[in-house]
Amino acid sequence: MALKWFQQPSERACVVGLDGVPFSMVKRFVAEGVMPRLGAIIASGAAFRETTVSLPEISSVSWSSFMTGKNPGEHGIFGFTDLHPGTYTQSFPSFRDLKCDTIWDRLGEQKMRSVVINQPATYPARPVHGALVSGFVAVHLDKSVFPARYLRQLREINYEIDLDAELVRDNPTALFRALHELLRVREALMDILWKEEKWNLMEVVITGTDRLHHFMMDAYEDTAHPNHKDFLDYYRAVDAFVGRVHDRFVADASEPRNFFVLSDHGFCRTHHEVNINTVLAQHGFLKMSGDDPKRLENISEAAVAFGLDPSRIYLHRRGRYPRGGVDDSRADALMNEISEAFLALRHDGEQIIRKVFRGRDVYSGAASANGPDLILLTKAGFDLKGRLGAPDVIATRRLQGMHTWDDAFVVTGRTDLVPHGRELTLLDVPAMLVASLGLEPAHA
Amino acid sequence: MKGFTLWFTGLPSSGKSTLARRVEQVLLERGMNVEVLDGDEVRETFSKGLGFSKEDRDTNIRRIGFVAKLLSRNGTVAITAAISPYRETRDEMRKAIGRFVEVYVQCPIDVLKERDVKGLYKKALAGEIKHFTGVDDPYEAPAKPEVLVESDRESEEQSVAKIITTLETLGYIPRVPGTDYSPAEEEAIKTRLKDLGYI
Repeated sequence: MALKWFQQPSERACVVGLDGVPFSMVKRFVAEGVMPRLGAIIASGAAFRETTVSLPEISSVSWSSFMTGKNPGEHGIFGFTDLHPGTYTQSFPSFRDLKCDTIWDRLGEQKMRSVVINQPATYPARPVHGALVSGFVAVHLDKSVFPARYLRQLREINYEIDLDAELVRDNPTALFRALHELLRVREALMDILWKEEKWNLMEVVITGTDRLHHFMMDAYEDTAHPNHKDFLDYYRAVDAFVGRVHDRFVADASEPRNFFVLSDHGFCRTHHEVNINTVLAQHGFLKMSGDDPKRLENISEAAVAFGLDPSRIYLHRRGRYPRGGVDDSRADALMNEISEAFLALRHDGEQIIRKVFRGRDVYSGAASANGPDLILLTKAGFDLKGRLGAPDVIATRRLQGMHTWDDAFVVTGRTDLVPHGRELTLLDVPAMLVASLGLEPAHA
Repeated sequence: MKGFTLWFTGLPSSGKSTLARRVEQVLLERGMNVEVLDGDEVRETFSKGLGFSKEDRDTNIRRIGFVAKLLSRNGTVAITAAISPYRETRDEMRKAIGRFVEVYVQCPIDVLKERDVKGLYKKALAGEIKHFTGVDDPYEAPAKPEVLVESDRESEEQSVAKIITTLETLGYIPRVPGTDYSPAEEEAIKTRLKDLGYI
C-alpha cells in the first residue's frame, strides 16, 4: 500500500536485535544487575513487553515478519527449508524468495536510508536505500554486502558472518572467544556505517545470543555449571554494547526515544527431541516406499501427510504434490485426526503438544497456500524435528536449547506507540518502528 | 530488457579491458546485447587526435559517455573501459546516463609498475611519455563505486563474479533461474542448519 506522511518524519530510529533472547531472561538479568544498561533504559521509562512471534518460531520466519511487517502468508517464508513447488525436493528459501516489500524498501520510497547489519534471512544481499550486510544463513561475504564497495572495509575488520558451529560445539573456550569476536566485528561494522551512511534507520542484530543458547542453555540456569560465569559475562558484554549504541543514538537523534531492542523468539532448555514424522508414520498418516525412508522423494501414494522442520505438517494434497491423493473434501477430517494424534502424545505422562494451529487460521495472504496445513506448538523442553525414518518418537537431544513461540520481548522508548490492552506480537514492532519514523504502518 | 552502462575506471593496466571483455562474454551468453567501448580503441577512432590534457581527456570521456547513453537507452549494455581519471567527469556521466554502474578496478601503483604489461610505466617513469596517469597525471578514485575490484588480490573469476552478482542484485540483469545458491552453497547452508539443529 502507498505510504502517506501524517507528520514530519523524526530524524532517526535505531534497532538492536538480540536473536533468541527470552523476555524472562532479560527480566532476570536486569533484576540481577547482569544487564544494567538495558535496565537503565527500561527504568528511564521505556516499555518492556513480552511478545509472541511468528509460527513456526524460527529466525528466518520471525525476522522476515519483522522486516516486512507481514505474516508468513504474505511474505512467503515458512521455514529454513521448503520444497521446490510440485516436487519433494528440499529447497532453502533465500532473501530473494521474500514475496513482499521490506520496511527498508518502504522507507526507501520516502528517500529514507536504512542500514541493516546481520539480520537473518537477508542472504543474498539485495539493494536497499542504504546498506545491508546479510546475516544467517549467509555463506559468502561477497554475496552478503550491498553496496559491494563496503566489502573491502569488512575484510579490513576481519568481519565474520557467523561462528563455526562444528569448531565450538564441544569447546567452550572457543565458543566464548568466537561470540565476543562476533560482537566486536558487528560493532566495528556498525561504527563504519554509522559514520559513512546518512541513515534514518540503523539496525544491527546480535545472533551470538541464539548460538550460545543452542550450545549452552544449561549454563544459564545451572549456577554450578563450569561456564555459568562465562554465560553471564557474555550477556554483560551484550548489555554494554546495547548501552554504547543507545548512548550514541541519544547523542545523534532528534527523537532519542526511537530506540528499540527486540528478540525474534524465546528460548528454553531442551529435554527431548520429538520426531514428528515418526508420529505421523506410527498413526498411518505417513507411508514411505522405496529403499530409503529418509528421503521424502520416497513418499508413498498412500501417505496423507508429512512433516517439515521443525513443526510443520502438510497434507499430501492432490495437485500440490506429484503423488498426493488428498482431496479438499477430506482435508478437514484429516486435520482433525492428525491434531488429535499429536495432542494425545505423551512422554512419561506429560503432554508434549500444547496446541495445534491450522495454517488458515494463522496465515493470511497470497502465499498462504504454500504454507503448512498444521503447525504444532510444543511444551517447553520438547524440541520438534522433521527428520524422516527415525525409529523412535522421542530422541536424545543434540543441543541444549530450543526456541519458544512466546517469551520474546521488545523494549522501546516510544511508549506512545505501544498497543495497550492486549498482548503484543512481533508484528507490532515493525508497525511501531515505521510509525516512530513518521510513516503509516503498512499492516495497521 | 532495459540497457545500462557498466563503467570501468582505474589506472592504466589495472585490468579494465580484460574484465570488460570477460563480463561482456557472460552477458552475451545470457542473451543480452552488449557493446564494449574500450579506451584504447576509442582513441584510435572517434577520439583520434585528442591529447591527454585535462580538457582533451574530459572530451574523450564525454564522447564515450554520449555513445554509452545512446546504447543504454536502446536496450544495450554499454561497457566502457577507459581510465576516466576525473571524478567530476565520471559523476557527470552517471547523471547523464542514469542506469549507471561504476566499477573501480583498484591496483596499487607499485604493483602496476612491476606488472607493466605494455611497458608504458617504464617509459613514463623515464620521461618518454608525458601526462601518464598515475605517474605525472592525477587519478581520482571513485568515492562510492557500485563495485570495487582489487585486481592485485582477486582472480579474474572472482572479480567477474562480484560484478555479475552486483548487476543481479541491482536488478539490471535477470538471475539465472535456480542459481540462487550454488550446490556448494546449498551444502554449506545444510551443514549450518544441521549444526544448529534446525534440520
